[in-house]
Amino acid sequence: MPGGNDTLVPLVWQPVPGTGSAQIYPLIRKIDTISSNSYLIVTPDVLILIDPGGLIEQAEQLSRVIGECRRERDRPVFVFLTHAHIDHFIGVVGVPAFACPETAVFAVQEQGAEALERADAKLTQAEMLGKSLAPMKIGLPLFPRAWEVNCNIPVSMAFPNGATITITYDRSGTAGGLPHGRLEFGSGPALDIYHTPGHSPDSVSLRMGGLFFIGDLLFAANPGIAGMCGWDQRALVQSLDRMLTRIDCGGITTVCPGHGRVVTAPDAARMLSAVVTDARALSDIAELNRGRAEQAALFAEDCMEQVNELFTIMAGRLHYVSYVMDELGESDIADRMGALIPGDTIDELLEAFTAFAEEHHQGKHVSIHLALKAAQVITKLGRAFRKEELVHIIDPTLVDRAGRLLSDYTTMFRGFNPPCERSGCSLVPVIEAIVMGLSVSSCSDEDMLSSADDDAAFLQVLLSRIGTRPLLEDVTFSFAAEDRSLPVSIDLDHFTDLVTYILEDLVGTGSDKVTLQVRREDRHARITLFGNTIPGASETPRKRSFLAGLCTRAGGILTCPEDAGMRRFVITLELE
Amino acid sequence: MDITTTDRDSATIVSIAGRVDTATAPVLEQAINKEIEIGHRHVLLDFTRVSYISSGGLRVLLATAKKLKTPGDKFAICGLSSEVHKILKLAGFTSIFSIYSTEGEALAGW
Repeated sequence: MPGGNDTLVPLVWQPVPGTGSAQIYPLIRKIDTISSNSYLIVTPDVLILIDPGGLIEQAEQLSRVIGECRRERDRPVFVFLTHAHIDHFIGVVGVPAFACPETAVFAVQEQGAEALERADAKLTQAEMLGKSLAPMKIGLPLFPRAWEVNCNIPVSMAFPNGATITITYDRSGTAGGLPHGRLEFGSGPALDIYHTPGHSPDSVSLRMGGLFFIGDLLFAANPGIAGMCGWDQRALVQSLDRMLTRIDCGGITTVCPGHGRVVTAPDAARMLSAVVTDARALSDIAELNRGRAEQAALFAEDCMEQVNELFTIMAGRLHYVSYVMDELGESDIADRMGALIPGDTIDELLEAFTAFAEEHHQGKHVSIHLALKAAQVITKLGRAFRKEELVHIIDPTLVDRAGRLLSDYTTMFRGFNPPCERSGCSLVPVIEAIVMGLSVSSCSDEDMLSSADDDAAFLQVLLSRIGTRPLLEDVTFSFAAEDRSLPVSIDLDHFTDLVTYILEDLVGTGSDKVTLQVRREDRHARITLFGNTIPGASETPRKRSFLAGLCTRAGGILTCPEDAGMRRFVITLELE
Repeated sequence: MDITTTDRDSATIVSIAGRVDTATAPVLEQAINKEIEIGHRHVLLDFTRVSYISSGGLRVLLATAKKLKTPGDKFAICGLSSEVHKILKLAGFTSIFSIYSTEGEALAGW
C-alpha cells in the first residue's frame, strides 16, 4: 500500500490488502456533517462504491472515476451504504451514473432500504439537516427479515446491471457474533457484511481483505449524534462489543470510518472501546429530533451571549491585574497574568460563533449546525479556560459561573437536561450569604498581613486583592425581608448564579442604589430586585430568555415588570 | 468600524462607530497612537455608537491609559451604551479612567 501497511492514501488507486486482485480508491474528507468519506473498490468482477457522500461534486468525481474504470473494462456497479443518513448518499441525486438500476444497484440494510423507498425524512436525518428527499429505489436490501431462515444457504441473485451474485448469511463465530453475510460477485474477492445497528437501525459494516468499513460507529456516542432518530443505546453497545471481538479475531489491518482519517486496527479497537464506555453512560438521553435541535440552538445562543460577556469581563480583569502589576514594576508577573486567558483566541472563537449565528438567522445553517458550532466553541473555550488558576486571582463567582455555563450547555447538548438538584433550605439566609459574598473581598486585610513573610503567598494574595472586586462594594445596597421563615426548594448553584447575574446587570448598567426585597405572598416567596440604571438600559430579549431559563433550573419563575426609570426583576418560588 | 477624529477645546475626540473586536481593535489602537505620537495628550474616546467591545478592545483602552499617565495628560471615555458600560464596570476599568455620559460633560469635567 502506498501509505504503508495499514493506512490508505486518498485519491490514489492502491491494493486492498489480503485480496490479491482488488484495488481501492479512497476519497477521505475532513470531518463534517455535510458529507461522508467514499471508498471505491474495483475487483475483476465488480465495482463497489461504499458511501457516495452528501455532495453532488463528490458524486460527480466518483462517477468520473467509475466511468474510467468501466471504459477500461466494463463491470457492474454496486453502491453500498453503511447506513441511510443523507450525508452518506444524497450527493448521487441527479448524477446520471447513479440514476437507475441498469447503471448502479444500491445495497442498503433492509430498514434503511425501506426508509429510502418511502423517503423517510426522519430516519435519513433529512428533516434534521433541512434537506428534501425523493423516494429511491434500492435494488439489494441487505439482511432481509428472512435471512435467519435461510442461514448458511447460498442464494444467487441477478440484477439489472448485469451482475449475478451469491449471498450467504450466517451467524458465524468468526464474525464475533455479528449477523454476517458473504457476497460473492464471481471468482474475485468476496465482500463480508455485518449488521451493526445502534448509530441507526440499518448500520452495516463491510469487510474486504484487511479493510473494515465501519460507517459512523466511531462517532455514535458523540454529542449531536447520540440520540438521533433511530439511535439505540442497547443495540449500539452490543454492536460495538461484537465489533471489538471481530477485530480481535484478526484478518483486519485497517479500519475505514465514514468520516475522517483511516486508522489501524489496534487504534480502532482502542477508539471503539472508548465509544462503548461513552455509549454505556447515555441511557437517559432524549431523542435528538428537529424540535430538540431547535431548542439546543436557542439555548446555545442564550448561553453564548453570557459566555461572551463573562469571558470578556474575566479577560478584562486579567488585563487590569496585568496593568497594575506592570505599574508596580513586576512586568514578568504582568505578562503571566495576561497569558492566563488567551484573549485573542477567545475573541476569535466568540466572534466566529456570532457570525455563524447571524448566518443561521439568514437561513444559511440549520439549527443542529448552530448547536454543534456552539458545542465546538464551548469545547475549545473549556480547554483555554484555566479555572484552577483563575479562581485564585479573579472573583470566583465569575469563574464558577463561566464553568457552570459551559458545563450546562454541554450537558444539554449531549441530550440530558442540565443538572437541577433542588434541596430544601431557608431562603433568607441563602440570600444573605449570596449578598455577603458579593460585598466583601475574598481576600481580607488579615490575609495580606499574615502572608507578608512569604513572597509567594504574598504575591498570591496581592494578585487576588487586585483581581477581585466585590460587586456591591461601591453601591448603596438595601436588603429587606419581612419574613425570615421562608422554606423553599431550590437548586442552590443556579439560584446563586441567577441572583448574581441580576445584581451584576443592575450594577453594571449604572445602578448605584440597589434594593432586594423578600416577602411572602400566599404560598410563594417573592424576591424583587431593582435599581436605577443609566437611561436606555434594559436586558436584551436573549438575556431575558437566558435568565428565565436559569430561574426555571433554579426552581422558580422570573418576571421583569416594566417600571419607568427602574429595572426590576421578580423571582417567585413556591414555599415548601 | 468607523473612526473620526476631531479637535475641540484642546482635546482630541476620537469617535468610534461599530464593534471594537479582534479585527477592529488594532485599527483603533493605531488611530489613538497616531494622535498621541503627534503630541495630542488630552484624548476623549466617544463610544456613543459602539455596540460591542471584546477583550482585545479592553486591552487597547488599558494600553492607552498607560501611555497617557504623565502629569497633565487626560484620558476619558464618554457615551457608553449600557452593554459596554457593564463590561468596563465589571472588569474594573472604571477606576482607571474617567467615564462621562456625554462629550459635553467630559470636556466640562476636564
